[in-house]
Amino acid sequence: MTATATATTPIERKVHQTVVRLMQGDLTALEVDAFVHYAKENLELGSGYGTAIQSRGGGAVKKEVEKIGGIRMGEAVMTTAGGMAAKHIIHACGPKFQESDTEGKLRDCMNSALQIARENGLKSVAFPPMGAGFYGVPLALSAQVMIDAIRSAAAAGTPPEVIIICTVDGRDFLAFKNQVGAL
Amino acid sequence: MSETRSYKAQKLVERLQVKVNRQIMLSLEACVHCGLCTDQCHYVLSNPGDVTYAPAYKADRIRKLFKAHIDWTGKTLPWWVGAKSVYTDQELEDLKDTVFGKCTNCRRCSLNCPMGVDMAVFNRMARGLLVHVGVMPEGVAVVAKDQWEIGNQMGVLKEDYLETLTWMEEELQSEYNDHSIRIPIDKMDADVVYSINPREAKYDPRTIAEAAAIFHFAGENWTMPSQGWDMTNFGLFNGDDELGGAVGGRLYDAVERLRGKKLVISECGHGFRSTRCEAPNWGKRDVAFPMESAVITMLGYIKQGRIQVDKSKNSEPVTYHDSCNNARSCGMTEEPRELLNLVCSDFREMHPNRAENFCCTGGGGAMSMTEYAPRRLKSARIKADQLKATGAKIVVTSCHNCVDGLFDLIKHYKLDMQVKLLVNLVASALVVPERPSRKMRPLEGYKILVIDDEPDIRVYLGKIFKDQGCLVTEAPDANQGMRAIKADRPDLVTLDLILPYMTGEKLYWELRKDQKTADLPVVIVSGYAAVDSPRIDFFGFLAEKRLPQPNGFLEKPVDPEKLIETVRAVLLEKA
Ligand code: SF4
Ligand code: SF4
Repeated sequence: MTATATATTPIERKVHQTVVRLMQGDLTALEVDAFVHYAKENLELGSGYGTAIQSRGGGAVKKEVEKIGGIRMGEAVMTTAGGMAAKHIIHACGPKFQESDTEGKLRDCMNSALQIARENGLKSVAFPPMGAGFYGVPLALSAQVMIDAIRSAAAAGTPPEVIIICTVDGRDFLAFKNQVGAL
Repeated sequence: MSETRSYKAQKLVERLQVKVNRQIMLSLEACVHCGLCTDQCHYVLSNPGDVTYAPAYKADRIRKLFKAHIDWTGKTLPWWVGAKSVYTDQELEDLKDTVFGKCTNCRRCSLNCPMGVDMAVFNRMARGLLVHVGVMPEGVAVVAKDQWEIGNQMGVLKEDYLETLTWMEEELQSEYNDHSIRIPIDKMDADVVYSINPREAKYDPRTIAEAAAIFHFAGENWTMPSQGWDMTNFGLFNGDDELGGAVGGRLYDAVERLRGKKLVISECGHGFRSTRCEAPNWGKRDVAFPMESAVITMLGYIKQGRIQVDKSKNSEPVTYHDSCNNARSCGMTEEPRELLNLVCSDFREMHPNRAENFCCTGGGGAMSMTEYAPRRLKSARIKADQLKATGAKIVVTSCHNCVDGLFDLIKHYKLDMQVKLLVNLVASALVVPERPSRKMRPLEGYKILVIDDEPDIRVYLGKIFKDQGCLVTEAPDANQGMRAIKADRPDLVTLDLILPYMTGEKLYWELRKDQKTADLPVVIVSGYAAVDSPRIDFFGFLAEKRLPQPNGFLEKPVDPEKLIETVRAVLLEKA
């Protein structure tokens, strides 16, 4: 048992030319070139972050994803962010609820999101703890796969200048803290 | 015999081995099928003859899994003890229909089992197993995802929550014609940190205002957190201990961050139970501060003479519905009655009551599962009969979830009744004192933003204001100042003119240009008075831009009394 609140002072590390920042906050309120929405195959926005996208962004994002129709597991697609503080949303489809090869699918999903960011010359991209929480990907696995993908992208060059991992609370912040700190 | 198991069924079976603990095992093993629990369940009583609603029958849907995979009797004599595993996705759907759609985890059967079988504890576990593999009613998924990602069960965004608090504060100030009534947000070192059900922010904000009025007239030193404010916990309903621990942790973090002395939990049965009793275990967390239901807080204020009430203000016949979680699981049965007898003149019991009361039929997350609404309303007949027999015009409860369940069944069964919370009755019985019960300091409750690039000055000014009872926020530059103005809506800003990035002049100009901030009181606190002083420049700037004078202008070093006098005069004039 722990007796005190988790300290969530942001942590920043430079990996090659990329600044990786871990922070606790409100993903869909960040002023970034894009934030990543952990999407379903049919791109339906749903609740959670989807609630915030629809409420803060207006109806534009919903219309765009409906027009696109869907993506396959491990793929990503980019839309505008409607009236939100971010400019774009990268919808990246990752594994859910213990499905087979969770790790491989999560890796593909991360790489696709980073590739979209690269192709579109995005300078700052924010990620949630991918797949953790509602979709049940263990936090430790989410952190490991995300950090590996970010490290590889940074080493390969031309990744976004700033990559943010934005956690909801102290618990998921803690799961990423050591990994980001060790970058 | 080897049957192929679907991927999801296999994952569920693997999870079962992890989730069965001693408490669950005892309940799964102890049933002797005596049938004594059958007539305790509101589903059974409202659906006579339908065996699929009987608690022991429903329990056996889960028990057979336990027998098949964990209990030695099932491994040795499976046909004898009814052991059977799950193999297909359809079987998981059938299990979902039972554990989500035919039981509200109300624990009425548990209380009446001579063998101590606690149906709700393993029904919740079974829900958790299904959620783990993504099998759950759509509404359950929606609510759980909102609470995981937005931080509350109804997806209320931070700006909407804060706007609601501001709106309620304004309503209260005009209702009581008293500018000192505040809903303090993120106040440090408060004696009470008040947490609410998101239903209040979204659909029933009057309950926030009523609680605020009670805190105010009690002279309480209280606050509400800007984040981590949701005391409900869907983890109790969907069986997800991880969600339960995360949600509780956010609330505990908020209290610790604000160095609050006590957490007061608004009226909500499952929220109270989860926050006070369950979440520390789910999240493996020690909680060092006391936690209390708002019912106890309100009762305490009356008994200590901190608020006065007049019960004749609530003269209609009132009955009380005990929420399952408050009464059966937390033993809170007498305090609400004591409170009711103090604030209303015609209180009559419904029967059965206290721990024997029937569920509102909307418990256990049932209100989110629209597909089961017809079944829920049919099973509510027993509750409707119970309410009707009281002859009361108002049914009071101490749970926002029960309010929704009761409201729905009252409408369905066309009962001539209103549903209220205890806070509604206490607020309407309040006798407003001539003066607030605690001596107010001159600037008590006002929100002041100090914009200054020098940390020492911010601390110095902040202390002066805090000593006067103000809520103080700080910003080291104009950009952060502007953001704080938008987020916190202070009553007054003290503004330094020499600031990094953007000057104080420019910020003043921006504020006056914007309709929303044009009237925001600004007192300039600047450090230069020489010939080349910005004061001269500043007034030249005002003339050039045709801007109004600031509400006050003080030169550093600032005399504390002059500062208080100036700020007070500005605020009084505004009021
Ligand atoms: S749960 Fe208890 S009361 Fe119900 S049938 Fe089993 S032993 Fe009897
Ligand atoms: S817990 Fe309540 S709803 Fe569930 S079987 Fe028992 S009495 Fe019925």
